[in-house]
Amino acid sequence: MGELSYAEDVKQLAFGEGEVLRGEGILAITKALLQSGVSYVGGYPGAPVSYLIDVLADANEPVLKPLGVYFEQSGSEAAAAALLGASINYPVRGAVTWKSVVGTNVASDALSHVASAGVIGGSVIVIGEDYGEGSSILQERTHSAALKSSVPLLDPRNSLDSFARFVEAGFGLSEACNEPVFFSIRIRACHMRGTLHCKDNVRPKVSMLSPLGAPSFSLERINLPPFTYAMEAQKFEQRLPAARRYIVEHGLNEHHRGEEDHLGIVLQGGLWNTTLRCLHVLGLADTRGRTPLPLLVLNAIHPLVPEQLVAFMRGKRRILVVEEGMPNYIERELGALAHEARLDVEISGKDVLAPNGEYVPQLVLRGLSRFLATAGVRSVPAATLEERYRALTAHQARVREVLPVPVAKRPPSFCTGCPERPVFSAMKILREREPAVGDTHVSADIGCSTFSTQAPFNVGSSVLGYGMGLASSSAVAPLFGKRVVSFMGDGGFWHNGLTNGVANAMYNKQDSVLVILDNFYAAATGQHHLPSTGTNARREPVRMTIPEALRGLGVPWVRTVNSYRIAEVVATLREALTTRVPGLKVVIARNECMLERQRRERPRLRQLEAAGAQVVRPRFGVDPDVCTGDHSCIRLSGCPSLTLRPSPDPFRADPIAHVDDTCVGCGVCGEVAHAAVLCPSFYEVRVVSNPSRWTRFAGRLRRAVIRRLAAVTA
Amino acid sequence: MSEGRLLSVLIPAVGGQGGGVLLDWIVDAALVDGYPVHGTSIPGVAQRTGSTSYYVELFTAREAGEEAAPTFSLYPVPGALDVLLAAEFLEVGRSIELGFPSPARTTIVASTHRLYSIHEKIPTGNGIYPIADLQAAARAFARTLYAFDALALAREHGTEANAVLLGALAGSGALPVRPEAFRAAIERKGVQVEANLRGFDAGLAVTARLREGAGAGTPAPPPAAAPAAVITDDALARTVAELPEALRPTLGQGVARLLDYQDPAYARRYLERLRPFAAGGDTELTATLARWLAVLMTYEDAVRVAQLKTRAGRFERIRRETGAERGEIVVTDYLKPDLDEILGVLPDRLVAPLARWAERRWPHARPALAQHVRTTTVSGYLRVWLLTLLKPLRPISLRARLEHARIDRWLAAVERCARWDRALALEVARAAQLVKGYGDVRRRMAAHFERLLAGVTRAAELEAPGGSFEAARSLAARYRVLVLQGPDAEPRAVALAEHVLARLAAADRTGALALL
Repeated sequence: MGELSYAEDVKQLAFGEGEVLRGEGILAITKALLQSGVSYVGGYPGAPVSYLIDVLADANEPVLKPLGVYFEQSGSEAAAAALLGASINYPVRGAVTWKSVVGTNVASDALSHVASAGVIGGSVIVIGEDYGEGSSILQERTHSAALKSSVPLLDPRNSLDSFARFVEAGFGLSEACNEPVFFSIRIRACHMRGTLHCKDNVRPKVSMLSPLGAPSFSLERINLPPFTYAMEAQKFEQRLPAARRYIVEHGLNEHHRGEEDHLGIVLQGGLWNTTLRCLHVLGLADTRGRTPLPLLVLNAIHPLVPEQLVAFMRGKRRILVVEEGMPNYIERELGALAHEARLDVEISGKDVLAPNGEYVPQLVLRGLSRFLATAGVRSVPAATLEERYRALTAHQARVREVLPVPVAKRPPSFCTGCPERPVFSAMKILREREPAVGDTHVSADIGCSTFSTQAPFNVGSSVLGYGMGLASSSAVAPLFGKRVVSFMGDGGFWHNGLTNGVANAMYNKQDSVLVILDNFYAAATGQHHLPSTGTNARREPVRMTIPEALRGLGVPWVRTVNSYRIAEVVATLREALTTRVPGLKVVIARNECMLERQRRERPRLRQLEAAGAQVVRPRFGVDPDVCTGDHSCIRLSGCPSLTLRPSPDPFRADPIAHVDDTCVGCGVCGEVAHAAVLCPSFYEVRVVSNPSRWTRFAGRLRRAVIRRLAAVTA
Repeated sequence: MSEGRLLSVLIPAVGGQGGGVLLDWIVDAALVDGYPVHGTSIPGVAQRTGSTSYYVELFTAREAGEEAAPTFSLYPVPGALDVLLAAEFLEVGRSIELGFPSPARTTIVASTHRLYSIHEKIPTGNGIYPIADLQAAARAFARTLYAFDALALAREHGTEANAVLLGALAGSGALPVRPEAFRAAIERKGVQVEANLRGFDAGLAVTARLREGAGAGTPAPPPAAAPAAVITDDALARTVAELPEALRPTLGQGVARLLDYQDPAYARRYLERLRPFAAGGDTELTATLARWLAVLMTYEDAVRVAQLKTRAGRFERIRRETGAERGEIVVTDYLKPDLDEILGVLPDRLVAPLARWAERRWPHARPALAQHVRTTTVSGYLRVWLLTLLKPLRPISLRARLEHARIDRWLAAVERCARWDRALALEVARAAQLVKGYGDVRRRMAAHFERLLAGVTRAAELEAPGGSFEAARSLAARYRVLVLQGPDAEPRAVALAEHVLARLAAADRTGALALL
């Protein structure tokens, strides 16, 4: 369904005991879910776990259905969290997934309720911790959400076998403490390629093939007083103590002993790989992670087990806590425990390591070398450690000598042929050519469309959350004195925008313009299906449309435009911004995501061409002698295939525009040149391969006439 | 059990370049040869045409067995990188900036082709990151460097750059994996196998060639010098031949350009305008003027555009560039002359009042006539071609009057400045670089050009009593540079000129210089 097809990989999901699966982290997690006997799975796609939805979708027919496992791509993370409601009353195991922290925020209401009522069937939430390098969202960690709802949080070591083990342990832990469990996976770990030693899949006792039948009712599981008070008490009197017992009894955290027994490092499981690699390059660990430094690896970072922490610290002089982000809950907990137990130990953490940011090797290495410089390591002299650190970093001081100018930034942007980009070209053209109308406040939204805020458009002054574009204009609109514009993708519309955006605006009589970018998929996450795609993630046909939904809410003014027709988009935006019709005006700019379209069309055309059929491929070009190199087209189009090359004119100084061979022929560059009255340099060329005899004949005839005419003026 | 070594490969790339496939090939090839290996990438929207990276680690101890699998890292450690395999050359610079490659350890295998970032593309002038800096940095930060244009090589072999880079990685010998294992990985992946194997072999061969050559990193050769100008008019050819040797190439080019644009009389006018400067003996100033005067005199009016669009060789060029040598092509031109451009080709005396009215009526964004012309059809071609027949009217056209008046103002300013200060005159001559674009863009750029001329001349007048023209000179240079940075910097250029002139008028030359 999505960007990547896992059709081949999912065959491995049927593997049994002793077989070795080869694939990505996500695949190992999916296999572990099946090995745990889940009855249902669901979630909302979002990087880095969007591919989990792809794997499940691809696995639905061949693997999940035969086991009777129910799968859905939920309407939002809130719906996914509510899916876990099945495990409150019934002994069924289930798993859901979403991007965190943002998905956790959306899910919070349902999640708090599940965590309060408690579960009797193991419930695991696979959260993609979108924190650090490659993240596309605000930077917060999920740790505090786990703390406030008393949801255990697993942050395991990064290897496929480790992921599988901790998914399985997550179900056991969940059932032991009657709480749903967070299983956290980091950005890069999702796509980590490796091997998994498989077990047999477990057929769930309750499934679509052997349904429940009898309802269960228990007032104690309803989130109403007085039961809510009892639930709160249970969390701290029974559930978390049970979780601690499970963590200890099943050895979820690892205590590695070492000769340097006066020292110790306490680290999150997810930071194992980076920390051990940094110790390795400093000569304090071998390639397999054996080190003379004692380690306490916390694969479960919530709840912590005080006895375990105190036992590790006892007899040590110095402890380093490698804990990502702020607040530093683990470090503080250790400090408090050491104080209570009257241990004479010095605890380091954020004093030597960076307070915030993902713990990539450069940060961990610097922190480790600071800590080790004064730690009194016996096996390697401190001077040697310092020398090794310097050898790794000395060259960095010379970077500015060779690169005096900082390397140009390269932010992500709209793809070549993207149907969303021209809408922002139109917006920019309207802003520049008719500032009285077009130079207004714009609220942006989450999704590919957020790139509108980047160069060359710089359209959109705020981004407040998925589907929140319109809602975030609610106070700006009446205070602005001019009609404002909000953007929203079709993904955001169905996720949140329909209710919190459109219904809210209609209810409060907001007079503004909403532009819905309808490209048929949740394109940013990898072309996941939406209610208006036509089919759901299980490939079942679904008939829901955006215009019908808007009509249902009574939106009086709705126009649908072809997003590639820039002049039309400009005219429609102008009309929406100037019409006397009060209230909400909605412009739906529609066209299929070009990535998805190319993925389908390219092989089809190649096949046709190979079979000898006449195939026409459009693409665009710039006449190099007509272009004077002012780059206005680039500033309005921003297409990746619209680039530069040296001017063929020896007298001109600046490079000229050039359409490279990645062009897909969408025509936006030409349309921009037209709509903004830029220049006559652009042309479309339709390349006809395997031309028919008639096409060839007509072509020859035309060329002959044209040659003669050209000779007259030459 | 032998203690193996961990080898790391960082692949910086631009999203959409096929880095994921490259990663899969490397991981699969290592597995074919039995090495424990892992690879990672950054998923999601971060990949959409932005900078991204892929990462592979390979453990050299094959016999280790799975029980003692190494601790793989998900990230490279700066300074401890073994291979930097870059699919684009700016990304090499970025990796160096981030500290990853180290001269003591890293083999850099890099494609020298450039995919310009949006920030390099949007300035009105040339915003391209200096390639020489990237080349020097790659040389300085590599233990061994293999730099070549993988994209050009890929196009030559009808394949993609990632296959070529895979071949180069295999050829570099930085990993213990055999070429056969890489080939097996390509076959196993099953995507465009034949083309990718061709690319792989091309990459393999290029590393061998680079190793034989002295330095592993051979930058692309500089573009060939423009061919000597052909001057079709004998009398003019003789005149050019009599010019001082230093001026001949530029003026020759200029004369040829004007002959192509209009006629011998027009080319003679060009030489006439240059004569006083040539007589002054300042070769650099004359050559600079000759260059920009030729550009300004061949302004792109509708006739010129029609002429270029209907050139005999144009469709052949398009055919070549689209790789459609054997197929047919249908070309549709996007033309949208605005009112000024339409009136511009008509006789000045006829349309001047109308043009004045139009300027008042539509001070910005004049109405325009949008057309999609299919120039590969006879009727479409004729529509554009007929316009070229208006060429004889050009000397009496409205546009000619306006353009030549501007050129005269520019030449007068240069001449005046030359009497004061040679370097100042040269800067004013260079200001002609600003005049480009069509329609509104050209009107805006021409206005900046005129503002620069007026501002700089005024600044020079104010400086003249002191005899030093540093402020005027810097203003000319800074104004041009700022405008060439793009529309966002244009207001700054205007404000700078105003402030500098205000300071100079207040006899505060130090203050004016401080602004510059």
